[in-house]
Amino acid sequence: MTALATELSSRLMTWWIILRIALEERLVYRGDFALGTLMRFLPIVTQIFLWWAIFESVPTAAGSGQTKALVGYSFPDMVAYYLLTMLGRAFSSMPGLASGVARQIREGEVKKYLTQPVDLIEFLLLGRVAHKLAYYSVATIPFALVFFLCRGYFSSGMPDVYTLSIFIATLLMSFLLGFFMEVCLGLVGFWFLEVSSLLFVYMLFNFFLSGHMFPLDMLPEPWRSLVEYIPLKYLAYHPAAIFLGKIPREQLLFELGIEIAWLIFFVFLARWMYARGLKRYSGFGG
Amino acid sequence: MSAVPDPASTSTGSAKFEGLGYYWQVILAFAQNSLIRDMTFRTNFLLECVSSISWTMMNVGFYLIVFSHANSIGASTGWGKYEFFVFMATTWIVNSLVETFFMPNAEEFSELIRTGGLDFALLKPIDTQFLISFRKMDWSSLSNLMMALILLAFSLWQLTHRPENPLQLHFSILFFYPLYILCGVAILYSLTITLSATSIWLGRNQTLYDFWFYITNFSRYPMEIYQRGWGMALWGTFTFVIPVLVVVNVPARLLAQPLHPRAWWEWPLAGFTVVAAILSLLASRWVFQRALLSYRSASS
Amino acid sequence: MAIIEIDQLSKSYRVYQKGEGLRAAVTGLFHRQYREVLAVREVNLKVESGEFVAFLGPNGAGKTTTLKLLSGVIYPTSGRAKVMGYVPWQRDNEYRRRFALVMGQKNQLWWDLPAQESFRLHQRIYRIDPPAFRKTLDELTELLSVRELLCRPVRELSLGERMKMELIAALLHSPEVLFLDEPTIGLDVVAQHNIQQFLKYYQEQRGITVLLTSHYMKDVAALCRRVVVIAKGQVQYDGSLSGIVDSFSGAKVVTLQLAEGTVPQGLERLGEVLSIQLPKVKLKCSRIEVSRVLAQLLEQYTVEDIAVEDPPLDEVIAAMFSRVSSEEKAAEGVSQ
Repeated sequence: MTALATELSSRLMTWWIILRIALEERLVYRGDFALGTLMRFLPIVTQIFLWWAIFESVPTAAGSGQTKALVGYSFPDMVAYYLLTMLGRAFSSMPGLASGVARQIREGEVKKYLTQPVDLIEFLLLGRVAHKLAYYSVATIPFALVFFLCRGYFSSGMPDVYTLSIFIATLLMSFLLGFFMEVCLGLVGFWFLEVSSLLFVYMLFNFFLSGHMFPLDMLPEPWRSLVEYIPLKYLAYHPAAIFLGKIPREQLLFELGIEIAWLIFFVFLARWMYARGLKRYSGFGG
Repeated sequence: MSAVPDPASTSTGSAKFEGLGYYWQVILAFAQNSLIRDMTFRTNFLLECVSSISWTMMNVGFYLIVFSHANSIGASTGWGKYEFFVFMATTWIVNSLVETFFMPNAEEFSELIRTGGLDFALLKPIDTQFLISFRKMDWSSLSNLMMALILLAFSLWQLTHRPENPLQLHFSILFFYPLYILCGVAILYSLTITLSATSIWLGRNQTLYDFWFYITNFSRYPMEIYQRGWGMALWGTFTFVIPVLVVVNVPARLLAQPLHPRAWWEWPLAGFTVVAAILSLLASRWVFQRALLSYRSASS
Repeated sequence: MAIIEIDQLSKSYRVYQKGEGLRAAVTGLFHRQYREVLAVREVNLKVESGEFVAFLGPNGAGKTTTLKLLSGVIYPTSGRAKVMGYVPWQRDNEYRRRFALVMGQKNQLWWDLPAQESFRLHQRIYRIDPPAFRKTLDELTELLSVRELLCRPVRELSLGERMKMELIAALLHSPEVLFLDEPTIGLDVVAQHNIQQFLKYYQEQRGITVLLTSHYMKDVAALCRRVVVIAKGQVQYDGSLSGIVDSFSGAKVVTLQLAEGTVPQGLERLGEVLSIQLPKVKLKCSRIEVSRVLAQLLEQYTVEDIAVEDPPLDEVIAAMFSRVSSEEKAAEGVSQ
């Protein structure tokens, strides 16, 4: 029992140190950091104006009075949507993860995991958690500020507690899903040396089909239905849709279930690829 | 052996201004070296080309989707589907030119400052800003230029052949369009060089590319979208203070919007663009010189 | 008139202080603490045309900073300097065409391209006449034996080969003044030797003025007659190599070869015993004592051979550096 406790506390200690170093690193280049955090919100401003202009020429939705709507989104809804996808992206984006894994494999750094009790995947996960916490603990202020300033766009108000809790659960899941999906991509490096082309294709589809660029409701058939079957939507579209009430209440739990299923699938895939990859790797003699 | 250099191999006297032919020769040498280098990394080059092209396709896809729901950007601004594609093509033309010739150098400049490699540039008997600005070229960005020209040609064809109110193009476009493209490139160049020069004072400048993206993000859309409510402040700032809005808007407007009737402010704006281009270049030079004065070199 | 004139030249830097830990990092966002570092302090120097001068000194002494000031790469805080009549930091194109700077372990050649492409670029920038360029290039590649390496990408060359290419690049435009900053650092002995030989030959042939910084004694001993010792940003010594020992070392090393079977005793009374490897004994004593010590040794023991030498140059210099450093620390301690 005490062995477990010491194991846990040493883990926590490492975690705290990683976190602290990450934060320190961020703060050293202060000019860089201050500018960078603020800049993230500029594209939203342009988007708002763009959609404002687009909505001007959208015909009024039949039978809904004077509100203009595009695939069921009014202009305020659209703005709220983009802000929410930004939040979703904050959780699910994993910059450099897949390429980092591929690089570690290519350069043989993975060898050290063969002899250590540390797991590559666990290590990376901890690292990402630390990174996200470090970054967003400081970035919460600008985020909160922007959301507060734009609260007028959330015309449908806050969703009820039930929806809200599902929303938060989905956000956390999108972090895990994003992580494991990219890890799997990186692990392809055990079989193919140049993962960058694969990564590039993934990035492209990710950007286009995750809802980051536009609400997926805008897609024409058959794409609209197709996109329901791939897990990319969970990275940006899904949390936003939940918050805005686009998903019927009865379906929320069901969708969450599917999301969990996808997550389990990718966790197993990552583990399996890792184990097989290491075996194959050591077969080569490093 | 004499230690005095052969007079035939140096320029005459202490002429401060070298002939244009000299600078052209140097640019050619840079272009050649960059091309050789890009060709040694062929797969990377191809990947970059493919990635730029895919990106443009995605953007086209997005706007096709938008235009299937709405029929213009902004009511009565005249930016319908194909007009907007002309606008987009113009954006890509300007951006690809900047990304081919100047972006690699702006990034390299930050690196040179950080590692102290700028020392070597300061040793050369040539204007430092010229050397820094043209040294490296990224030929793979020209693939975007190609896509832009295709899109431009297609959209113009659509516009000039549509049944109602077909677009009439005046031959003076052949002069004005390239001119304003050049003005746009000059303004964006000044912006990149100024940003990258600030790394002398701000240290590591990882957000350079980000900053560049955010600011030029404003320039990617017709300026009409800002002309409402508190957007006027944005419109004012990005037209007159950091003139990125005129970079694409002016040439695109000249091309895609009808010649008559022109709004009263269009020609003055065009004139302003030329002035802005010249002023931007001068401002960037001033910042560059100030930056060199503060350069500390790296410790050995 | 001297080709290089330095008059009360000074350069100081502001260095950002970083505290330890998270708290300091956060406060660092709002308020930075600075410290002034005096890299070069009122240096005075005159170099005549055709001289080969070495700057010797420990790390951080200000040698490289001085060279950078003379190349116009950085601006001084105060003082004046002139090279060939030009003020270096005005960065006159005419001046830049007539001198060259080479820095050890720093590359200016394009990394992925063969050296000859970079050379061609050089030719364009420096406006070197094509026939003169060809001739100079052939000469230099011949002297440094790198002809076959011209078409290999620079990143594939060894450290020594890269240094040779850097030298060629610097000399293509036939500069009259050459600044070399630690050109042989990190190179193996053979490469060092080759480059030293080349520099010696080239300088003698062309009569150019060369300023070399190094902390390798071999470079200095092989190439220069005049040595300027710089420590803590100041000129500590300016003169010939042999003179250094006289100025800085009060010691001599006595090497004895004793007769068969003699066992020395009580040598410690005479001086510092450096080594005893019978029949050879090495003893260090102060200069003034030498005659007395010799007399006593010859009286006490049967000596087969005796030699009196200066201590190794490296040692003398190292001792001098550490003395300067401890003087500096003492001064700091007093002021604090």
